[in-house]
Amino acid sequence: MAMMDLIGVPPTLLFGQLLVGLINGSFYAMMSLGVAIIFGMLRIGNFVHGAQYMLGAFGAWYLMRLPELFPGLGLPSIGYWWALVIVPLVVAVIGALMERIFIRRVYDLDHAYGLLLTVGLAMAIEGAFNVYYGAAGQMYGVPESLKGGINLGFMFLPIYRAWVIAAAIVVCFGTWYMVERTKLGSYLRAATENPDLVRAFGINVPRLLMLTYAFGVGLAGFAGVMAAPIYQVSPQMGQGMIITIFAVVVIGGMGSIFGAIVSGLMLGVIEGLTKVFYPQASATVIFIIMALVLIFRPAGLFGKETTSHSVADVSSGRSGSFLENGRLWLAIFTVGGVALPFLVYPVMGMKILVLALFALAYNLIFGCVGLLAFGHAAFYGASAYVTAHAAAAWGLPTELCILLGVMVATAIGALFGWLAIRRQGLYFAMITLALAQIIYFYGVQAPWTHGEDGIQSVPRGMLFGVIDLSNTLNMYYVTLAVFLAGFAFIYRIIHSPFGQTLKSIRENEPRAISLGYSTDRFKLIAFTLSAMLSGVAGGLKAIIFQLASLADVFFMTSADVLLMTLIGGVGTLLGPVVGAAVLVTLQRELATLGAWVVVVQGIIFVLCVLFLRKGIIGTLEEFLANRAERKAKQTADHTEATTKITAAP
Amino acid sequence: MTETSQVVLDIADLHAWYGESKALHGMNFDIREGELVTLLGRNGAGKTTALRCIMGLVRKKTGVITYRGENVAKRAPEIIARRGIAYCPEERGIFSSLSVAENLELPPVIAKGGMTVDEILELFPNLKARWQSPGTKLSGGEQQMLAIGRILRTGAKLLIFDEPTEGLAPVIVKQIAVVLEKLKARGFTILLVEQNFRFASKLADRHFVVDHGKVVERFSRDELAGNEAKIQAYLGV
Repeated sequence: MAMMDLIGVPPTLLFGQLLVGLINGSFYAMMSLGVAIIFGMLRIGNFVHGAQYMLGAFGAWYLMRLPELFPGLGLPSIGYWWALVIVPLVVAVIGALMERIFIRRVYDLDHAYGLLLTVGLAMAIEGAFNVYYGAAGQMYGVPESLKGGINLGFMFLPIYRAWVIAAAIVVCFGTWYMVERTKLGSYLRAATENPDLVRAFGINVPRLLMLTYAFGVGLAGFAGVMAAPIYQVSPQMGQGMIITIFAVVVIGGMGSIFGAIVSGLMLGVIEGLTKVFYPQASATVIFIIMALVLIFRPAGLFGKETTSHSVADVSSGRSGSFLENGRLWLAIFTVGGVALPFLVYPVMGMKILVLALFALAYNLIFGCVGLLAFGHAAFYGASAYVTAHAAAAWGLPTELCILLGVMVATAIGALFGWLAIRRQGLYFAMITLALAQIIYFYGVQAPWTHGEDGIQSVPRGMLFGVIDLSNTLNMYYVTLAVFLAGFAFIYRIIHSPFGQTLKSIRENEPRAISLGYSTDRFKLIAFTLSAMLSGVAGGLKAIIFQLASLADVFFMTSADVLLMTLIGGVGTLLGPVVGAAVLVTLQRELATLGAWVVVVQGIIFVLCVLFLRKGIIGTLEEFLANRAERKAKQTADHTEATTKITAAP
Repeated sequence: MTETSQVVLDIADLHAWYGESKALHGMNFDIREGELVTLLGRNGAGKTTALRCIMGLVRKKTGVITYRGENVAKRAPEIIARRGIAYCPEERGIFSSLSVAENLELPPVIAKGGMTVDEILELFPNLKARWQSPGTKLSGGEQQMLAIGRILRTGAKLLIFDEPTEGLAPVIVKQIAVVLEKLKARGFTILLVEQNFRFASKLADRHFVVDHGKVVERFSRDELAGNEAKIQAYLGV
């Protein structure tokens, strides 16, 4: 073992972590395999995969505890081996139902909606389990037949862990064989390329898609059962994992099944080794590798370069409508904003304004450019942290604190944007989500962010040394001023030649390119601007609530801002503001529900995607447009009739 | 022969839309057992749309599509295919992630009486040498042969070809004409969409000229030759 001593690491630690890495890698491989298959065949970024994995683990736990759960029925306790057969099937059936009821409805829509729908489903399912089981994990023992271990001389190998690795490899390569080498697999591959034609050959493609989804989800259920004896069975077990899985799939190359398996195993091992040699980076190493892969091989390690599909045109704004008249609404918001503190608590007013500004900033990238960014928590949260730290630890003047926060958010935005704009559509969402996770883990680990506590009791200070912000009304009017300035600024951007170019990219990127626009540069500028304005909102938030915490950088914040924009109306001028007001009011009304809030929010997400895709403002816009059209027609008919009468002798 | 045989496919008053724009304006035509019929017409006349309607791939449509006595206008594509219609699309539709072998064996067998793989390879010897290559690595002509060969295995009795000669060298066009004649001799009923009139005129029993989304002229083979034209037309009706 002299060689090991050279590296300065005890061999037991090295092999121990290598084994942990292989175990994690086995789960990554099984999970990303399912995500890759579902993405490849259905073009759905299955965010709910983590929740389905959790269902698998809970399924095993339920079966084990059947006698305690239903004491009167005299049911037997069903052990691990039966669970390994029953649970994946049950989870697959649940998956098939989800496909039937929800996911099928979004196949014809933009990728963005598939992701949003599954985010909503994940929130609802994981939220519901959280209500019943909280954060605490449930124990599930290692099955009797797999207890114990083997002493390999250099390390102790628990049999269960060896079994997990072996089973995962068999399942993964079995799946690979099925897709790449069998008749059924050829149907799947063909249906991926040209579903219509495959249908016209007599193959029931809708059913094939449902079964594919069920199979991918069943894999997650299988992984969940396998995980139960190793990790604690808890509602959160899939939540963090799904983001890592997305990163693994991006690294492996979207649509590459082989890539997903190999990258899953490899990244697990790399993560394990990082724990030995540089533990601080172990939580983020996968995301950093993803960033490197994006720089050098944007299509992923095993992915083929595909023709880039265009961005998502999900905007529901209609230019020329009074709802898009920025000057009018600026005036209305000014008057309304001044009066607001006399109607609602100023604190609630400030919350609405800050989130509205955040949503406006987000809408700039999702609504105006059509890029589904899913990591805006990074900019919002980073700015909040920096602002809070500058005020609390360094005692800098408030305006300087916010400025620092905004600068950091802008820099991060430029970097993330530079990486993310290499890919479009769903990839863009997955990449921004994964990159934002780096900031989140940094927030968890760095000493100055104070982990779970966050930075508390941030002094509000004196603005420009004159205005005392500890006075709530003063704080409110400063917030209002910043919001109005932000609103005017964004309106100006949208209606500038720059904004028109963004719109042309959204509507038809290849055409914009052929007209000579460097669309990537425009996208990057828009992304950076969006990050900057998110930073303004984040910094302001830290001052108003005198707090910067992990919640600000958590992916749920990214989901919230997306939900606000969606409720209000993507791509509309007023949508983000309306969405923020609705969500804040809703959260306040639902506050008594406690942990159920997440479930309700998830359901709202799902309902919005299914029934209110244009959002409140977009739907109103559509109604007004239809009415105007009807009126115009009536007037035309009337004029025609009058002309006839006059023309008659 | 054709005038007495049974109508296999009858299209009556077919209208179809792509979004807001209307592509078919009341199309009518029919095909009888064992016939080779062509739809002729310019680009954008509605020929391909008519085929896509028959296969159930256009959702927004009205009218009646009767296949062997059953109205299939509201059926899903996979059901229509299983009734015995095989479709060879424009642009060939070869799958790049499937090998030549997989492409050829992809369409499921829906009835007895289809050709065997050996018979198909006899028809298209070129494919044999490329058996394991990815489908889209073939030349345009080879891909077209693969696209035609692919639908002969299934046992479907009505074959639909959408511009099989498009963009191919004259020597290959000739080869495809020979194949279509052989298929007709084997008893297949064939619906062919073509712009290449010289190619179609030698093969078809009847021609329908499509313009602006409807059939505007119909000729039998002999009317084209200008020989006994009207008599045949009357007998045909």
